[in-house]
Amino acid sequence: MRVPVEWLRSLALTNAPTDEIAERLTDAGFEVETVHRTGESWDGVIVGEVVAIAEHPNADRLNLPTVRYGEEELQVVCGAWNFKVGDKVPFALAGTVLWDPYAAEPTRKALKPTRVRGVVSAGMLCSPKELGVSSSHEGILILDPRVTVGTPLSEVLGDEVIEFELKANRPDALSVLGIARETAALFNAPLESTLRDNEPPAVSHGLQVDVEIVDPELCSRYAAAFVIDVQVTESPDWMRKRLELAGMRPINSIVDVTNYVMLELGQPLHAFDWAKIGGGRIVVRSARPRERLITLDGQDRELQPDTLVIADAERPVALAGVMGGAHSEVSEATTTVLLESATFNQFSVRRTAHRLKLRSEASRRFEKGLSPALTTVALRRCVELIEEIGAGRGDALSADIYPAPDEPCPVHLKFSRIERLMGVSYDREEVRQVLEAIGFGVVEEDGGLAVTPPYWRRDVTHPTDVIEEVARLVGYDRIPDTLPTGGVTDFVRGELDILDDDIVNVMVGLGFSQCIMYALTSKARMGQLLPPNLPERNEEMPLGTPQAWQAVRADAMNDAGREVADRLLPLHEQPVELRNWLSAEENVLRLTSLGTMLETLRANRRHLDRDLLLFEYGPSFRRREGDQPDEPRLLTAVTGQWLTATRWDDRTTVDLPYIKGLMDELLSRVGLQVGMIAGRESPVRHVPLLHPTFAEGEAAAIVVDGRTVAAYGRINGAVAETFDFEESVWAALAHLQPVLDAVASPRFTAWSPYPPARRDLALIVSTDVAAEDLELTMRRTGKQLLRNVRLFDEYRGPQVDKDKRSLAFALTYGAEDRTLTDAEIDRVHERVVHALTKRFSAELRA
Amino acid sequence: MTNQITELVRHAQDDLAASTDLDSLEAWRLKYLGRRGELTQVLRSIGQLSDEARRATGLAANKARDELNAALEMRHRALQPGAGVDAVDVTMPGYPPRIGSIHPITRVMRDIRQALAPLGFRAVGGPEVETDHYNFELLNIPADHPARDMWDTFHVDDPARPGELLLRTHTSPVQARVMETMQPPVRVIVPGKVYRYEDRDASHESEFHQVEGLAVDEHITMADLRGTLTYLVRALFGPERQLRIRASYFPFTEPSAEAEMSCHVCDGSGCRTCGGNGWVEILGAGMVHPRVLAGVGYDPDVYQGFAFGMGVERIAMLKYNVPDVRMFYDNDLRMLRQLR
Repeated sequence: MRVPVEWLRSLALTNAPTDEIAERLTDAGFEVETVHRTGESWDGVIVGEVVAIAEHPNADRLNLPTVRYGEEELQVVCGAWNFKVGDKVPFALAGTVLWDPYAAEPTRKALKPTRVRGVVSAGMLCSPKELGVSSSHEGILILDPRVTVGTPLSEVLGDEVIEFELKANRPDALSVLGIARETAALFNAPLESTLRDNEPPAVSHGLQVDVEIVDPELCSRYAAAFVIDVQVTESPDWMRKRLELAGMRPINSIVDVTNYVMLELGQPLHAFDWAKIGGGRIVVRSARPRERLITLDGQDRELQPDTLVIADAERPVALAGVMGGAHSEVSEATTTVLLESATFNQFSVRRTAHRLKLRSEASRRFEKGLSPALTTVALRRCVELIEEIGAGRGDALSADIYPAPDEPCPVHLKFSRIERLMGVSYDREEVRQVLEAIGFGVVEEDGGLAVTPPYWRRDVTHPTDVIEEVARLVGYDRIPDTLPTGGVTDFVRGELDILDDDIVNVMVGLGFSQCIMYALTSKARMGQLLPPNLPERNEEMPLGTPQAWQAVRADAMNDAGREVADRLLPLHEQPVELRNWLSAEENVLRLTSLGTMLETLRANRRHLDRDLLLFEYGPSFRRREGDQPDEPRLLTAVTGQWLTATRWDDRTTVDLPYIKGLMDELLSRVGLQVGMIAGRESPVRHVPLLHPTFAEGEAAAIVVDGRTVAAYGRINGAVAETFDFEESVWAALAHLQPVLDAVASPRFTAWSPYPPARRDLALIVSTDVAAEDLELTMRRTGKQLLRNVRLFDEYRGPQVDKDKRSLAFALTYGAEDRTLTDAEIDRVHERVVHALTKRFSAELRA
Repeated sequence: MTNQITELVRHAQDDLAASTDLDSLEAWRLKYLGRRGELTQVLRSIGQLSDEARRATGLAANKARDELNAALEMRHRALQPGAGVDAVDVTMPGYPPRIGSIHPITRVMRDIRQALAPLGFRAVGGPEVETDHYNFELLNIPADHPARDMWDTFHVDDPARPGELLLRTHTSPVQARVMETMQPPVRVIVPGKVYRYEDRDASHESEFHQVEGLAVDEHITMADLRGTLTYLVRALFGPERQLRIRASYFPFTEPSAEAEMSCHVCDGSGCRTCGGNGWVEILGAGMVHPRVLAGVGYDPDVYQGFAFGMGVERIAMLKYNVPDVRMFYDNDLRMLRQLR
């Protein structure tokens, strides 16, 4: 909403500086976006007088005016012809910054001395477009002859416009009068009303319109008046200027007056050419099937059956509250006009405007809920202005259909309630004053006030609405700083309090940097996580058809792979799709963020070659029939091939045990028991994973109490390649929430005060013997005396048979109650060795 | 004899202190410890002594030899070029430890949570795919109300229930969810991601984060809101910050307020960050609208409270001087490591 300050000041009689008006209005809830000053950018532009015009020696289309500006004169080259000797014009010398009239986008550029067809020009006469006052570049802006030569242009032509951000709740603020009311109240200044209580001209000229409202729910009031002897001309300069400053294009005297009244009072009006209204009838009704209307913007539109239209006896002539029809538009041939001032249902207008993508000045006002009382006020003002500018003669109010008039409805406010809500006290007299200043009726009653809002404040219906008025007009500066007292919320174990912090902190400690990824992605980008050679993949079905997926499940996955697919990487599911999206790259919600994490890894790979450790902890989205999607929070971690080792330039290669170590650390840090204690199997098990996203033989899944909660391993080379990785990249996925509810806080266990003893053991075993099984056997045999088992080396190579490997363990022996003797240790160690050789045909390695 | 040795050691120590270069040090070594050195002579003469005297003298002589050898070594090290405390180049870089970083958005959300925890606010979450009911209806934003223009919305394509599911446009729906399941007193904050159907540029994101705050009880006032916000802003941007609130409009609060803080860059004197006017917009807030309270089953004549919502990216941009909101989603390690 653009409010010309001169217009505002003609209604709110204050001489406060414009910036202060803007500040105070913002404080009171009318947020000022900008104060435009048209003269602001006119540094160096001054009033000049054309004292001579010479022909250009080399060009017919150019002339050479001489301009006097102050003491000096200068001859320049000009392409316009609309001025004569003696005219006052805006004149700019070289160096002045002006709008470039030929640029596609608004651009400002410094004026340079130029040579035009052999004649030097070191100054310029300016067009309105070059000054930024309008889009016209037809000719030079001719100034009022009374202005003084040499004065800065901004002093004679500058104007100020306050631009407000629109708020949804105050239709009255979409008018100059509404803003003026607030301004007058804030500055304690008189409000000049342009409204006279006079009745419309009582003379009736015998014209009659028959108005029918089919559904009063959709149109609560419809008033109309005739204007006869219409002279459609240009409206006067003052009106055109105000319209232009407010951002509306002047059209003709009749249309300009309706727009002017809309800007002034907030009530949209429409003028019909009465000659084009068939049957002398106006019907406010819903559109009929397949009805069409060519609107004022020239569009031929098919109307939906629930569109509210204004129709004559036969056909629609306007979209109610949105836009008029071209057929009944006022033209120079018009002699009689029917003015419409009505109140249409705000929701209906909004629906229509949205559906047709036709947000007009009128619909913007209607959709905020106008008061029916405003209709006749505006209609009278409109007729009065038309007569004032000589565009026609008013007739009696010809129709006013208002089936269910609004009754003023007082709001009862207990006085104590203001302080109870605001935490600060307000003086009773002060409350009355501020409310009356904005037109509220205030009557004291038992313990409080009966407050009757004026007709233009239909948004005030509740005591809190009134309190808000008081608070904002007195000013929020009144409100002190206190802190809430009273009870606090009961403790609820929420995931945000515990789990998120733990997982993020542990990952950071493990060397990973946290990322936050977009949740919106595309099917194709997620499909990239499956190798390109999978059957039946195409653009439409990047994740494969259900049949193809069944085949993949059967051939390319083991049980762990299928579990991982179902729980962590559901690439076979239909993602949640959007109805509207900004780009086809981002039209679904992610099922996994692994793809975008790999892209991020790739982007960082360009400037960093090691220690690329990234993770994200956030939701994935999985459809649920007839419900909101499930949003499990997943950990997604990726790493590059190399890590910095212990010294500056050393690097080590990421491998499976490295990732496994990280995962075990994470699990134990969030409270899961990892690794065996005293021969008890851990609830956490790692199992080999076969899934097409991961490299075969270099991936594992983690199962906790029978539930697959994580997967990790090297990304399948064919997949990594589609992300432009030549080297190996690694990933881990985890969904820990389901197993964490059972986690108890860690408990202290005392250790033995007696010194432990270490025995190392290197075993050559068949490669199909699992290290875990060896450890289990050791622990079960060594019982209480075997305190710990730690693998410290693996060897495969020429020193052992091809299908064998050597594993080296450190065994720690000890007892709770004594120092073990060498003999005791030897005895139990021999038992352990014996069990291993017997059970796994293990050989001791020398 | 032992006295003689003691004397010899003292003499040698004095001599040693006088040696100023490696050559004189070598001369010293030959003089005392060399094959014909004074101490060597003493040791050689031991054989002539009685058993008892031999043992005592031997011990003393050996101790003296060790002592002089140690002194020699120390002196030798001290006389090496670049020796002693300078033997190590401490300007060489340390080996880099591998520790990751918390995303700046997470950090700011934690800062907010930690700032408000002492006031009894607990953090809760809610779904990002919301229903129209929670995202709009229960927040006093009915269908076809112009207030809906305040939030450009991504809608979920769900033919079974068109228009029902959407990506939440603010964290405010969690207000309603919390109040539906909890009786006052309520004090919660809701950090989380929100979505707007809005093109990205340097200052707009279609995915970003908010922290919502809500306090409802019988006597929570607008002054409490103001005090809480002042407390929060000072926790985030320093104790010198001033807060000002100005009237505004949100459908779910009344009265509503826009809060600004005195610019943390120029301290209110005017700079580029604050657009020259000394104040920086920081959040929107207000007293929970009676219709919102009634909608979740609270009696608006008994209960009242405040709510506020702030954009986390905006706070992070202000706090860390980040020029483009999209950088938070680039996840470039060069930035993540700067702001860790």
